[in-house]
Amino acid sequence: MIGELITLLITSVLLNNAVLNQFLGLCPFMGVSRKKSSALGMGVAVVFVIVAAGIVTYGLYHLVLVPLNLEFMDLVTFILVIASLVQLTEMFLKKSSPALYKSLGVYLPLITTNCVVLNVCLVNISNGYDIAHMLVYTIGTPLGFALVLYIFSCIRERLEVADVPQCFKGNPIALIVAGLMAMAFSGLAGII
Amino acid sequence: MDFAQLFLAILFFGSLVGIYIFLFLKNKKTPKPEGCENLKADCEGCKDIYCPNHPTKEES
Repeated sequence: MIGELITLLITSVLLNNAVLNQFLGLCPFMGVSRKKSSALGMGVAVVFVIVAAGIVTYGLYHLVLVPLNLEFMDLVTFILVIASLVQLTEMFLKKSSPALYKSLGVYLPLITTNCVVLNVCLVNISNGYDIAHMLVYTIGTPLGFALVLYIFSCIRERLEVADVPQCFKGNPIALIVAGLMAMAFSGLAGII
Repeated sequence: MDFAQLFLAILFFGSLVGIYIFLFLKNKKTPKPEGCENLKADCEGCKDIYCPNHPTKEES
């Protein structure tokens, strides 16, 4: 059981990475990766919202939708729960922690449209995970997203001062780097 | 699908929408902390022109 959970954690963080393997969350991956500080802020905000959304939607599905035979409403329920959670989180941060709001607040509305959040909620249900597997997958996936986003931002900061040909400057070289990162991460498949 | 289940589905959906609207309005009314009035994302814009952080939204 423990070995299975460790495998799931490594898989969700490195091998089955949301960005590089499943091509999810590419909008914040390209848009908020120019500076390390903003990438870190976005990463932390994504981890916070995905963990909260994953736990709430899993509970809601098994405690409300299944007993009422309303499983077909999972998608619309999860979208509304994620949107509500983002509002709640933003309100909570405004009131309780201005410093945290200053660093994360601007990224919270962007997370509502981040497809990684919805993907985690849907995979938890469709794969039939129990609570332990759900928790590991719900924590592992955003950690993988944050890790890749931070590494990518470090590379992009270096690219700003690198001698890149004019036609490759900006997004073209960033996309090439993302492709190379995807290949590098796929090379880790042998560790499992 | 029988009538009771349809009614439950509509009721459940309505309550979720109600919760979202309540939280949205409550969040809008909550004042931002000092120094956070004009926070902007460090985003130069992707192709999603409907995103609230897209630079064209700030111009209009």
